[in-house]
Amino acid sequence: MATITATINLTSPDITGDPLNLSKTSVLNKAATATGLDQFTGITTVVYAAAKTAENIVAAAAYVDTTVSHKVYIKNSATGSSDFVTVELGGSNVLMGRLYPGDWCFFPYDGTLDIDIDTSAANMKVEYGVFSQSTAS
Amino acid sequence: MATTTATLILSSADVTGHNFSMTQTATLTKAASSTGLDEFTGITSRKYPAAQTDTVVVADSIYVDTTVAHKVYIRNTSTGNSDYILVELEGDVIIGRLYPGDWMFIPYAGTLDVQVTTIATNVSIEYGVFSQSTVS
Repeated sequence: MATITATINLTSPDITGDPLNLSKTSVLNKAATATGLDQFTGITTVVYAAAKTAENIVAAAAYVDTTVSHKVYIKNSATGSSDFVTVELGGSNVLMGRLYPGDWCFFPYDGTLDIDIDTSAANMKVEYGVFSQSTAS
Repeated sequence: MATTTATLILSSADVTGHNFSMTQTATLTKAASSTGLDEFTGITSRKYPAAQTDTVVVADSIYVDTTVAHKVYIRNTSTGNSDYILVELEGDVIIGRLYPGDWMFIPYAGTLDVQVTTIATNVSIEYGVFSQSTVS
């Protein structure tokens, strides 16, 4: 199986009275095992010619679900500061949050809800990818 | 205002037919602005003596909402490989499971609580919120 690592570094010299310097690395394994995730979509890059509403980027039907350890990456690759990507979960499009230009997110995905996005303007570039396991543990 | 950066590094020598390595750095700013986020909860560390059900780790009532660029970080700091933390938005909207060592970093609209459920005793977690003090 593959070995995939995901590292986050959070730094700030001035968000608190003391510098923040957090670094954590995770090895991406199948649920409740020490076996690495074995599937990857690659990183998809899309430029949407027009603003999008409830554009599906991760379809739950494509993944085994529940006892899983899938991971989703999404980035708003637009320039400027105002054109946002809204990340939503499920058929009711429950709002998670907004990615402004340059923002990225990385989160676990249990494969039960679609992940959709809205984009606020034309010609926005978004990239995304899914690391997943081929069978539920 | 503060300057806060979030860097993601993803790498694998063998998940595809070639080496995969990607680094992305975001400067955390207020919505539609180049001004940095100005609030931070700090990193909270907890060890739950009993299994938890829908325990609120981020309460939406504390934050301004919608036109915002808040960010939430959560990590399962437990050891072993089986004791997961189920992360949900209020209303049982499942995001996913964090197994020991796993972390997440998401945008947060401030409209729903973020909740966690655990299945075992002594599960450890750390979490924090970077937020903006006013809606842009």
